Amino acid sequence: MTNLLILLRKELRGFFLSPFGWIILTLVTVMQGWSMSGAMKALQDAPIPESLVYIVFHMPQFWFYFLVIFPLITMRLFAEEERAGTLETLLTAPVQTWQLVLGKYLATLCFYLILWIPAFIQFQVFGILADVPPPFSTGSLLGAFLLIFLMGTLFIAIGSFASALTSSQIIAGAVTVGLLFIHYFLGYITVIYGDRFPAASLFQHISSSEHLRYFSKGLIDSRTIIYYLTAATFFLFLTHHVLNHRRWRS
Amino acid sequence: MIKVNNLTKRFGRHLAVAGATFEVEQGQVVGFLGPNGAGKTTTIRMLTGFLPPTSGSAAIDSLDVSRHSVEARRQIGYLPESVPLYRDMRVREYLRFRGQIKGLKGKALHARMDEVLERCGLREVRRKMIKTLSKGFRQRVGLADALIHDPPLLILDEPTNGLDPNQIRSIRHLIKQLGKSHTILLSTHILTEVEMICDKIVIIDDGKILASDTPSNLVSTMRAAGRISIEIRTDPEKARERMTALDHVKKVNYERSRDDWAEFSVLVESGTDTRERLARLAQDEGWPLRNLHRHDATLEDVFVELTRKD
Repeated sequence: MTNLLILLRKELRGFFLSPFGWIILTLVTVMQGWSMSGAMKALQDAPIPESLVYIVFHMPQFWFYFLVIFPLITMRLFAEEERAGTLETLLTAPVQTWQLVLGKYLATLCFYLILWIPAFIQFQVFGILADVPPPFSTGSLLGAFLLIFLMGTLFIAIGSFASALTSSQIIAGAVTVGLLFIHYFLGYITVIYGDRFPAASLFQHISSSEHLRYFSKGLIDSRTIIYYLTAATFFLFLTHHVLNHRRWRS
Repeated sequence: MIKVNNLTKRFGRHLAVAGATFEVEQGQVVGFLGPNGAGKTTTIRMLTGFLPPTSGSAAIDSLDVSRHSVEARRQIGYLPESVPLYRDMRVREYLRFRGQIKGLKGKALHARMDEVLERCGLREVRRKMIKTLSKGFRQRVGLADALIHDPPLLILDEPTNGLDPNQIRSIRHLIKQLGKSHTILLSTHILTEVEMICDKIVIIDDGKILASDTPSNLVSTMRAAGRISIEIRTDPEKARERMTALDHVKKVNYERSRDDWAEFSVLVESGTDTRERLARLAQDEGWPLRNLHRHDATLEDVFVELTRKD
């Protein structure tokens, strides 16, 4: 347990002790601000029967920057250790592979949550600056952020898995982008082809944009929570096995 | 301290280590020798738990490296060949991190950090980024990392690789000092290093252990590699015939003639000395004799003889 915390802290410090982490933080903050102002402008232009939270997370640019976050924050995780050879020093120290995997994963998840603090503040500021009650309910705000967190648990696990596959950060990043786009478009199938075929509910069930639609209305579904958490666990399990297997094979 | 029994590692079709068996006693400094690609690093990686063996077993301090991996790893301070370090960390920060994951904390951690910084001569660079350090200093940071948890066993994979002569000397000096209080397994292909530091030598080639003994024993059993040179003034053919007839002489090679002097090199059986009888033969035959000299085998002869491919 202590090893896990030590590795987590080291990894999290790594995000903030290099310019890299700050660049991502800046980039994401700017994009969140752009979504926010775009959403407010949309509300101003025409009456929309949805809350501000819903509109912000349904701006076209949302998925664009959201899916880019994950390869950026996960590609380094194992690929860099492998390339530099430090995986050898880590795994010959009295550290177990699962501690390493979980330490790095949780550190990245923490950093990811920090990335969402600016967006959270932006929503709060609306209420403070504008003289009108904020055009969204607490439920929809919490629901949206809960889903942001859940998507993070899964997508970071996918990124960790891709990073463990290779010693090249570029390849790790590309594989993560590929897997996330496949995930996104599988969820989009019912939008393109309609939901009148037998497997339609399956595609709706894995669709992140569908979940986001419900959660940002404040409709929290325990099936969705279980879906993300089990899928994340599955990818972490794969990551663990890939790391161990690399040693068997190399 | 280390017990390796029939250890084998296969990478697909390639057999990297083939049934290696050797032992390292507590307190010994053991040189692990072999040409490049002989299987040294693979063997070491199995000992340190980085690679699982295909078959066979290895135990550190009677802890099996596969079954009690974490406990076995705790006993080892390991310096990998390429000295992998986090480039973006400062020396002290790196050692603190390494000390922590090896189970040190609080005052004990700080005391150990101060001690290894002092011992490895890193005091003045302790606040520097690792990426700004020279190769020699990085090697010392790696060594400091290996030492931080005060392990009873040090495994050093080519610790002087790529250093300049002064740095090599200082690392060697450090290893020699550490040898007084630690068991050390030192992989290298620099023979002078082994002669200077080690109590015992294990020679590996093509994944097989070829010899495992003290340097002096190895050299004395290889005495056949030590040959006798003799220079006499007579007809070469006849002299060769007469000398070959002596007991314990395996082979007589006629090397060359200078002026009238013929030079031979005589290979004798191990553990025998034929110089006296050669001298008497020359006297009896009335050959003028001006040189009779035995070449002692060196560790290099031993190494070449064991690992030569042709």
